[in-house]
Amino acid sequence: MKKLLALLLAACMLFSLAACGDNGDTPAVSGDQGGNAVPDGGNVEPAVEYPTFDLGAVDLVEAEVGEDQTVGHDSFAGEAGKDYTDLKEYTYNDYTAGNQNLNFNPISWETNEDSAIFGYTTSSLYDWRLNSTKDGWSIVPEMAAGLPEDVTADYVGRFGIQEGDDHRAYKITLNPDICWQDGTPITADDYIYTWQMQLDPIQANRRADSLYAGSYVISGAKEYFYQGKSAFSSFDSLGTDYAGFINQGHTDDDVYIDLANFWGIAYEDGTTYGKITDETLIRDPAVEEGQDGDYVSPKYLWDNYLGPNGAYAGTGNDTQFVGSLQSYEANYSWDNVGLLKTGDYEIVLVYTKPLYSPEYYIPYNVYDFLINRPLYESLLKYYDANGNEVPAGDPSAVSTTTTYGTTPETYMGYGPYVLTTMELDKQMVYTRNENWWGYKDGKHTGMYQTDKVVVSVIPEQATALLALLNGEIDGVGLTAADMEKYGSSDNIYYTPDSYTTKLSFNTDEASLAQRGTQVLGNLNFRKAFGLAIDKATFVQSFTASAQVGHGLLNYMYLYDPFSGGVYRETEGAKKAIVDLYGLTYGEGGDFDTLDEAYDAVTGYDLDQARQLMALAYDQCVADGSYTPGQKVTLDIRVYSTDETYVNMFNFLKDALESACVGTGFEGNVTLSMTADADYYETMYAGNTDVIFTTWGGAASSPYTMLYECYCDASDGSGNQMEYGFDTSKVMVTIELNGHEFTNNLQAWALWCDDSDADANLVSNDGELTLGMFSTYDNVTRSEIFGKLEYAYLANWTTVPLYYRMSASLLSQKVNYATREYVDMVGFGGLQYATYNYDDTEWEAVKSTLQY
Amino acid sequence: MVKYVIKRIVLMIFTFLVIATMCFVLIKLLPLPAIKSQGRDVEIILMRREMMGYNKPIMVQYYRYWKNVLHGDFGVGEQMYPSLEVADIMMQKMPYSIVLNLYSILIAIPIGLLFGIYAALKKNKWQDHLISTAVMIFISVPSYVYAFLVQYILCFKLGAFPLTAASMEEAKSFFSWTMFYSLVPAILSSAFGTVAGLTRFTRAELSEVLTGDYLLLARTKGLTRSQAIVRHAMRNAMVPILPMILGEFIGILGGSLIIENIFAIPGIGKLYTTAINVRDYNFFMADTFFYTLIGLASGLVIDLSYGFIDPRIKMGER
Repeated sequence: MKKLLALLLAACMLFSLAACGDNGDTPAVSGDQGGNAVPDGGNVEPAVEYPTFDLGAVDLVEAEVGEDQTVGHDSFAGEAGKDYTDLKEYTYNDYTAGNQNLNFNPISWETNEDSAIFGYTTSSLYDWRLNSTKDGWSIVPEMAAGLPEDVTADYVGRFGIQEGDDHRAYKITLNPDICWQDGTPITADDYIYTWQMQLDPIQANRRADSLYAGSYVISGAKEYFYQGKSAFSSFDSLGTDYAGFINQGHTDDDVYIDLANFWGIAYEDGTTYGKITDETLIRDPAVEEGQDGDYVSPKYLWDNYLGPNGAYAGTGNDTQFVGSLQSYEANYSWDNVGLLKTGDYEIVLVYTKPLYSPEYYIPYNVYDFLINRPLYESLLKYYDANGNEVPAGDPSAVSTTTTYGTTPETYMGYGPYVLTTMELDKQMVYTRNENWWGYKDGKHTGMYQTDKVVVSVIPEQATALLALLNGEIDGVGLTAADMEKYGSSDNIYYTPDSYTTKLSFNTDEASLAQRGTQVLGNLNFRKAFGLAIDKATFVQSFTASAQVGHGLLNYMYLYDPFSGGVYRETEGAKKAIVDLYGLTYGEGGDFDTLDEAYDAVTGYDLDQARQLMALAYDQCVADGSYTPGQKVTLDIRVYSTDETYVNMFNFLKDALESACVGTGFEGNVTLSMTADADYYETMYAGNTDVIFTTWGGAASSPYTMLYECYCDASDGSGNQMEYGFDTSKVMVTIELNGHEFTNNLQAWALWCDDSDADANLVSNDGELTLGMFSTYDNVTRSEIFGKLEYAYLANWTTVPLYYRMSASLLSQKVNYATREYVDMVGFGGLQYATYNYDDTEWEAVKSTLQY
Repeated sequence: MVKYVIKRIVLMIFTFLVIATMCFVLIKLLPLPAIKSQGRDVEIILMRREMMGYNKPIMVQYYRYWKNVLHGDFGVGEQMYPSLEVADIMMQKMPYSIVLNLYSILIAIPIGLLFGIYAALKKNKWQDHLISTAVMIFISVPSYVYAFLVQYILCFKLGAFPLTAASMEEAKSFFSWTMFYSLVPAILSSAFGTVAGLTRFTRAELSEVLTGDYLLLARTKGLTRSQAIVRHAMRNAMVPILPMILGEFIGILGGSLIIENIFAIPGIGKLYTTAINVRDYNFFMADTFFYTLIGLASGLVIDLSYGFIDPRIKMGER
């Protein structure tokens, strides 16, 4: 028996080893894209009906540079009569639900939990503060001595700067009082050293791209980081296409496919791009071995999909996933990077393109967390290709590790507080940094009454709520169930955030056919489902404090951060929603004004939903996507099967079934729920019908959202959640200054994104070429964007449900500076928090207070 | 006996290698999590994965992994605790789980035995029915239910204990009074199930032994009931009970996800499930090693314990 067992185990081991060998060709990015976009290697043929949109006229008005773009520098000076310097002890007891990941290395941190420490232990070049009237924000130099100064003229001939250029290079003079927590002065050398380490190619630090990604790119930063490497550049980014590229004298051997992003595959060595002429077969992990498409070559993808005769020719995919290989110069000199020291207390930032309103955008964008050189060097280890440790500077070094920023001993701060103790996933304690210049310079009156901050990890919200009621912590987020009891508390605070939660539908014909849910490809079916959802009841039942939402963007997005103008409150944005739900206004309309019509939108109309569902039934039967009597069960993937999700699912199921009442779908179409922690990935692979999705972004850049989150890729390779909805096939016509512009929605969105100077649009008559989107004034932009938002929503591949807003209960020990949420600075933050009780007094009263 | 132990250890090592190999292969067959990260440079993540050797063939990765493990290097986290040593993280989290489970079974074992013995001695009387009913309730109700009840009643309403476990800054030591006091609610919540299980098992075993012929013989020889129970019934009943208790002791190294979450105890309970969910290879493998070793070692110790408890049982002999 034992021998038999031993043989069995040995056989298992051999099987395992055999499996090892067989998998050797699995690329490192095999799952990076959640499998390729096409089930079974088939083609993506969208079932969604793509209406065309003729959306009226907009007058183009160009913005004046600097117009109304003034930044306030007045800051709130504290509550009158409040003594911020008394000798009593004030402790703020905070909590976090998530584990601390404990990588607070300023140049490689990963998560929000990691970076939370910086809010206590670092200062910025420029500080965002509550203004003196407590209704807006101001920017105040903190580690900088003054505002950025345009010194572009000093750099003519370097960094591509030419005579007459401006707004490319800015000098920042440092505050001479700034120092590390041990009292050592901070100088320009500390900034330069940090940036050099951040961009060090062999360190591959996660925050390297903070200096070269996004709209404001430091000159030479990417070239330094990528030196000696090759990176794929799409035709989109090069401003050309295949034909144009070949016309420039290139050959097919110079043309590459972005394999990882297009098909979710890579070569054995991890290379993620391949020549269109390469016939090497690459294993596609998304397809079972032995099935069609289990191995594909770049040439196959080119011939069948991305080439001139491929299925994606002219769709935008052929310029997004096809391009050339850009080789970065080896041994790129740091002297070519636009991060310069011009004095012990002077640094200069050189950008690749002009940066207007530097008073706002430099504080907003500059990456200014510092690492301490002596400590960092003592903790940095270098390794060669075999994983053996080698000395610093050894040419064989190919990788590094460091424990910098993992414990109080391996971290050096320079902010108002010092991390004194830390216990893994349990607690972090911060105390005053006695060396912080701000306590002595007289520029921080009315700030920092808090002496100590204790951040505890409490995973369960129910426990955290009890802890607040017991006086053990000073703030807690509330759930929908808590609102009944604490919704009217004087200590409740509402925090809006930039996220919109919605339902996203899969409309890809091939993947719907696999599940027999082709009805979802019908526009009227989706619209009927959307209109059957009573959003107000949904929000009230399942969220603590969210606001019913109908748009892609909520009220957090500012079309103009300087004036605080809210995109959602513009005429263009309101009109998008009013039009979407078919309300009319003005003479002969249902309402007198746009505002009245907008306020009347509920998003819920069961009668209309049933009419549309009946229409959808007829259409589906006619086009063969539904057979009378056929049972259809749409699959909705949710994160887990906890009570809230189950109730939300039941609500949606009732809504769908209600919409079907009285139609041919009645009793035959329903919804089923599947718990799936990777539900986003499942949708990206087209393997479900519906999911809840939530997108949000930087509140001060609303116009980038449409392209980056909604129109970037319909095949699951980007951020777009509405799988199969190909926005490059949605044609939108807008008349601008008397010229008609007809482009696909994706092209419009890319223009609004403002990231590609070559994405400017040309009128149908060829007589007018638009400038970059940012060159037009706020009214023009919000009107155009509103039309595009409408065009996206009118396809009903997504149904916005609510704009997220969180509610929290604050202990009676602490007061924030303001009760009204202010963009950029919230309620004033810990720096302006004041106390009703010191620690001793609080111990006596904490458990007697009611909320 | 020695020969048997050696054989078992060799087989244990072999089994461990097979399990470790299979787990390594299976986890590597799963795709890595998506690297779609809005606004971030995907290439950086690919570079880091290359640095971690994820692009090498699995055989090469397997060789390197064992080479490192034999040098005490379990690697660093990628999806969890990025760049931090896996072994360090586990060693920091383990003491909390050990302390909680140790206190829990030290309290649960005497209580469970006493209730079990008492119920057996009072079999089919109201005391037995009362205990058996309570046992059924505590076995049937999930531990988080009475964890919340304990927390709400003892900690919040009565204020008798802190809501959450003490930090090391407050407690100074894992075996200090402050730490013990702060862990009492979690210990109670964790012990209920063990008490109930042990009570039921002890009652069943002792009840069966008490009906044995040899006990009747012992009584007829002139032993009092107490003497017969202590000298004969208890010793025989302990043969299956003691290995169960030993198993509980070995299990103290494992954590309880739910209890640890409710009482904010930074133990090891959550590591394994999170490692699988987020597909952190190194954490998954280290956890696999850990739990596999615990399982194999406990099986061996329990088997060997039979021989020590009852000399009539000879291990490894025909």
